[in-house]
Amino acid sequence: MAGGGSLERGPKVKRGSFATKRKKKKRVGFVLDMTPLVDIAFLLLTFFMLSTTLNTPQTMEMSIPPDTDNVDVKQSELLIVYVRDDSKIFKSLGGDEPVPVANLKELRSLSINENMRVKNKLITSLKFGKKVPYGFVVNVLDELNLAEGELTQKLSAENIKRERKFALTPMTPEEIEKLKTL
Amino acid sequence: MGKVKKKRVGFVLDMTPLVDIAFLLLTFFMFTAKFKSDSENDQKFQIKRPVASADTSKLPDQNLAMIKIAIDTVSNDTSYYYSLNSEVDRKIVYYASSVNIPEEMRSRVQLKVDLKQLEILVKQTRIANIKMRFALDADRKIQYKWIEDMMDVMRKSNATVFNFVTDKQQ
Repeated sequence: MAGGGSLERGPKVKRGSFATKRKKKKRVGFVLDMTPLVDIAFLLLTFFMLSTTLNTPQTMEMSIPPDTDNVDVKQSELLIVYVRDDSKIFKSLGGDEPVPVANLKELRSLSINENMRVKNKLITSLKFGKKVPYGFVVNVLDELNLAEGELTQKLSAENIKRERKFALTPMTPEEIEKLKTL
Repeated sequence: MGKVKKKRVGFVLDMTPLVDIAFLLLTFFMFTAKFKSDSENDQKFQIKRPVASADTSKLPDQNLAMIKIAIDTVSNDTSYYYSLNSEVDRKIVYYASSVNIPEEMRSRVQLKVDLKQLEILVKQTRIANIKMRFALDADRKIQYKWIEDMMDVMRKSNATVFNFVTDKQQ
């Protein structure tokens, strides 16, 4: 880069005594070939552009009930969502027999409707079979998370502050047997 | 055809703005590039995260304890991995006397652990740094029982809030 900008800066350097003594060579029409520099710059640019991943992972917050307390809940305010090993969803309202749920969309509207019915008092309990893939577990949780937005809106129209009561609980052997027959 | 081609002798195109922008982009991508950490470098698995709808919460950079459940690409075994992202925390937790891992493993960033070791590690981590957040990074094909067992460990260690690491739905 020696003297890259010397054409413009030339007169300014004349400060100080020794600068005047030196014979300044005038470089008229000095041209530096920038091609290799630009080549390398573009090479690096493409490398970094291709190697960066722009989608950073995001998170989904989960809370699990602590070991100690066993809370009694009103049967009428309890919604249990079962997911069987073959990823089929069942719901059970207020201790009723489990009923199949067709798809995830229906699960979302179910969560909204039931929460509206008992005015925010619903406790959702999720029970997954041991062989359900984790990806599907996240899909179900995601669907319930999506229901939250709408619920908060609907409940605030009735001046109720949304409080989520939600738990991931293990499936009991009896429940596993029962689901097998459905 | 009949047109006479004009010869452009000494044609000069000012490349300055182009080069300016190129360098600007170059510096941007250089600074934002995040390279694989050491722990990711020597792991023999790749995690295909589950997808979830867009959420604003991003994975924190500090005070993060990562629990990974992954399938080894070579042996096809599923196992737990535990890593802390801060060197200081690692020094305290991995070298704690109650943690029963082989001596030569303690210097690693990521430990391959079983459930018992995981429980001790989680407890130690909570003692060492109360602000620590736990994140679970698991492959989407993992069976739920692995998650259930891990949540049981978290419950026993009183770490009742944690995060699932997901990818954004495209």
